[in-house]
Amino acid sequence: MSLPSHAMPHQRSVFERFPFIPALGILAVLLLLNGIAEPNSMSFGAITGLTKTYLALMFLAVAQSLVVFSSDIDLSVGAILSLVNVVVVVLIERLGGGADAVLLSCLVGVLVGTLAGVFNGFVVVGLRLQPIVATFATGIVFTGLALWVLPVAGMPVPQSFWRTYGGRICDIPFVFYVVAALGLLIWLTVRTKYIIQLMAVGDNRLAAYQSGLPVTRIRIKAFALCGMLSAVAALCIIGDTASGDPVVGNAMTLYSVAAVVLGGTALSGGSGSMLGSAIGALIIGLINSFVFFAGVSSEWQNFAQGVAVLVALMAGVLITRRISK
Amino acid sequence: MPRLRLEGVCKRYGATVALGRGDLSLMPGEVHVLMGSNGSGKSTLSKIIAGSVRPDEGVIECDGSIVTIPSPRAARDLGIAVFYQELSLAAHRSVVENICLPGLGHARGLFRNRAEMTAAAEPFIEPFESVLGEGFGLDVPVGRLRADQRQLVEIMKTLAARPDILIFDEPTSALDRAQVECFMAVLRKLKADGKSIIFISHRMDEIFEIGDRVTIIRDGETVRTSVLADTTMEEILRTMTGEEATGPAAPAVSAAVKTPQRPTVKLKVSNLVAPGVNNVSFEVAAGEILGFGGLHGQGQSAALRALFGAAQSRSGDIEVGTTRLTGNSPRASIRNGLAYVSGDRARDGVIEGRSILENTVPIYALKNHLFVASPRSLGAKAQQALEQLQTKYQTLFHPINSLSGGNQQKVVVSRWLMAPPEVMLLDDPTKGIDIASKAELFRVLRELAAAGMAILLYSSEDAELLENSDRVLVFNNGRTVRELVGDERTRYHLYHAAYEAA
Amino acid sequence: MSGLSTSIADLARTPLVVALGLILALLVLGELLSPGFASASQIMRLLIVASILGVVAAGQNLVILGGREGIDLSVGGVVSLSAVIAGNMMQGSDAGIIPAILACLATGAFFGLLNGLGVTLLRIPPLIMTLGMLGVLQGLLVVVRSGIPSGLAAPGLARFVTQPFLFGVPGMIWLWGAIGVLMALLLRRTLFGYRVYAIGSNETAARMAGVPADLIRVSLFVFSGMFAAVAGFCIIGYSGSSFSNVGAQYMLASIIAVVLGGTPLSGGKGGYTGTMAGAVLLILLQSILTTLNIEEAGRQFAFGATLLVLMLFYGRGKALRG
Repeated sequence: MSLPSHAMPHQRSVFERFPFIPALGILAVLLLLNGIAEPNSMSFGAITGLTKTYLALMFLAVAQSLVVFSSDIDLSVGAILSLVNVVVVVLIERLGGGADAVLLSCLVGVLVGTLAGVFNGFVVVGLRLQPIVATFATGIVFTGLALWVLPVAGMPVPQSFWRTYGGRICDIPFVFYVVAALGLLIWLTVRTKYIIQLMAVGDNRLAAYQSGLPVTRIRIKAFALCGMLSAVAALCIIGDTASGDPVVGNAMTLYSVAAVVLGGTALSGGSGSMLGSAIGALIIGLINSFVFFAGVSSEWQNFAQGVAVLVALMAGVLITRRISK
Repeated sequence: MPRLRLEGVCKRYGATVALGRGDLSLMPGEVHVLMGSNGSGKSTLSKIIAGSVRPDEGVIECDGSIVTIPSPRAARDLGIAVFYQELSLAAHRSVVENICLPGLGHARGLFRNRAEMTAAAEPFIEPFESVLGEGFGLDVPVGRLRADQRQLVEIMKTLAARPDILIFDEPTSALDRAQVECFMAVLRKLKADGKSIIFISHRMDEIFEIGDRVTIIRDGETVRTSVLADTTMEEILRTMTGEEATGPAAPAVSAAVKTPQRPTVKLKVSNLVAPGVNNVSFEVAAGEILGFGGLHGQGQSAALRALFGAAQSRSGDIEVGTTRLTGNSPRASIRNGLAYVSGDRARDGVIEGRSILENTVPIYALKNHLFVASPRSLGAKAQQALEQLQTKYQTLFHPINSLSGGNQQKVVVSRWLMAPPEVMLLDDPTKGIDIASKAELFRVLRELAAAGMAILLYSSEDAELLENSDRVLVFNNGRTVRELVGDERTRYHLYHAAYEAA
Repeated sequence: MSGLSTSIADLARTPLVVALGLILALLVLGELLSPGFASASQIMRLLIVASILGVVAAGQNLVILGGREGIDLSVGGVVSLSAVIAGNMMQGSDAGIIPAILACLATGAFFGLLNGLGVTLLRIPPLIMTLGMLGVLQGLLVVVRSGIPSGLAAPGLARFVTQPFLFGVPGMIWLWGAIGVLMALLLRRTLFGYRVYAIGSNETAARMAGVPADLIRVSLFVFSGMFAAVAGFCIIGYSGSSFSNVGAQYMLASIIAVVLGGTPLSGGKGGYTGTMAGAVLLILLQSILTTLNIEEAGRQFAFGATLLVLMLFYGRGKALRG
């Protein structure tokens, strides 16, 4: 009766345990290519610079992946980022720009992002609207709010803010502490009971409901966490650009989705990896820098980037599917 | 005092009554078997107790007090756990995670502790240790397990909730004998511990082995509860079918097979293997209606779908007339003269929200390579086909949803009448449609058979199957176990074969 | 009596009727807020803007109708690219019109084909496939634009798009009307149309009825690329010359126009007539928010909030409990 079962290991395969491995492979190849094309691009300073620029996208991608795990999508993450960006910048200014003002403003910013996420959750899960169009619409609302808070880009933040972000502590650039914190956050999150429930909801919503899981609450929580992490991404952007901009994040939304897919997470939900999403964001950054260093003439650079990202996306989908079979 | 008592519980979906009157009283320490023919309401009754279906009427009492069960979560809080026939597992999660899933939200702490979860799951895996089979592992994603292993995981998940009331809806359909033995041992232990178990199975031997009492449901109503030790299989089957063992055979229908000369074989199937179908062979002659019988989901549908090219994979030899069928797709099958009508109209038949005309013409258009859709000329042809079945509709341009279920199905059948096939595969074609439509449908089918078409019929309604088939193949577990011809075509014999009682 | 009132209630829930009602209400509102808002010339200008969006939305509409999460995020890229190609090929001369339109159509069809093949053969989700393609197109835009500095619309095209052409109505609006009629014929009077709805409404049933779902789906993406190309071609007639990434705004606007026109993102339902109304509604809404003389912030907020409210009219998901 029992079927031959040669190819069935008794444990999860390596790829199942670490779905980000293909992304890590792509990342390694890109690092190598960058190093060959321009040895300087692998210098400590260059890597610090790259991290500084793409840290926000890393947070945004991790945020997006939480929503994608439950088979939803949030096209308002960029707008949330913009909103938090201007809220924090304006609040720091209003509170006088001291150290405590900066800290308080950052906390308020994270709270605003979380509330925006809860609102998304209410609209998508509570009102049962299609996540793509609904979060697009909420994104417009958030952009409106951002423009109300700060109509035009400008308004610098205190030196202390961007000096810290761009500076060093104990000779190690500050951004690497943030990367370590993100790593720790991911490490902790994948060990929560919540993430198992979230994945189960994304895997099969009805089965999860029948298993007695509070499906609605789990999904709304994912949107809230997504908003919260988008707010952290906004703080990184402020550190990098040192000023407020009400539309700074809007172009990043689609990149966050791309990074999630590059990281080995299927948009259909139920599986994937947050670390992969962070790596996916770095892949996008490295593709851009490689195209630059490889000596592609300036006018062809964007095209080469586009093709590389498309190919990487398709490869990501195909590899992820192959593994999950 | 009964642990759980249901009185007059009722569930309707529109005009269809899924459960007319459900009465049940479940004692501590008993295995209570639910029996009934196909579609009699067993699953609906268990889903109401599970909280995933909302009853329209009736009273539910738990430990003597009246309760409502608004969600599966509430059922859990009442100490009810359910084994779902269609399983409730997350394919990408590991065995341990799936087993512990329902309890996760209740346990304290933010983080999962893998060792703790494994420790929590192990006592429920342990009884099955010897029969888990190759490829099973605590950490393996459930989606990679075989069907029988997944079923075991669903059993473990049900047990892991440590419930007082357990509902098992067909928990053994994919299990082999040794696995069933282990499961029976677990059930006996639960019984000894005073747990209450509702048990639904299609295997008569299991029912007599483990059951204490049996409640029989017929046509959506619970008709009798008796102690299993005081009853016999024959008695149960009689109550279930409302028929005597040696009752009259269904009237013979088709004259085609009775003609003396050897009829031409229209469809010849040898060694058909597909998901859910295990090496099935048969022949159908021109003018013959061959019935597929047995309990739900024993491979009847799967075989018909595989023949039509709708299954993922397929092997075996299929000959339509004299041509060998190549290409595993509906398109290829249609070109070779097959037709398929599914009982799951919503999934396989009806193009939801579109006009009756659009729903009638696709096969005709495909066979005639049409591009321009002229409502007038197409309409005239469609009308003819629809009238053949006496379909009631206002205009061809009304959406198909405006029709009753029966008329919707007539539209789907008309689709094939516009360009008649050689062989018609009917997969429970009358599910959920009214009696008049059924009669109409079968009148036309007999005409078609008389005109030389070969017809394969699976019906979940026994009377219909027995009345309309010239022969009946009884399916069990993806195989054909018996062929009923002539006077053997009775419900008694059908269920005798279906419950493996032979 | 009750039958009549239910049928009126049903009618009021038809997306097309809702959209038309809102259009009328917005026109009246606009006229009240700013006299002259609903004048013929003003409406004509509005319709020209709407027609360009409408042409993009025609392709988007087809892709969405085909179901299985069908969506085309790359339309904006095709619009921009074809605007630049058209400008570069015409260089202000009427002789360039025909080659330019052919080049645009070929470009659109090519990228649509790539999208379609990725979605069907490799089974890449449309959202990802077309998102990646958008990046490629934006890159290509840079290449094409910096190759030849700037393009100029042919005067004939500019006249066609902006000036009265027949009965005082600009050619662009006639073109849109013609596309509307053609779309209606395609969707309602050909087997192709029947099959599009069939795969969008119930792909399983469609395949069971012998519909070649993959082939149909590829052609929908090709159509989408071609419609976006036509829109890009017309934009340059409207603005005179090509400017940077003119198509970006059409990506989500085209999706919203389709949804407001009563075609849900799940596909299989709705049609282009509603989408045309949706496009007009969207442009009108934006224009009225501009007229209101409130700041950009309020405009965006009101726009987003209005969209959310409108979505509540259209198909919401099912609850989990039976």
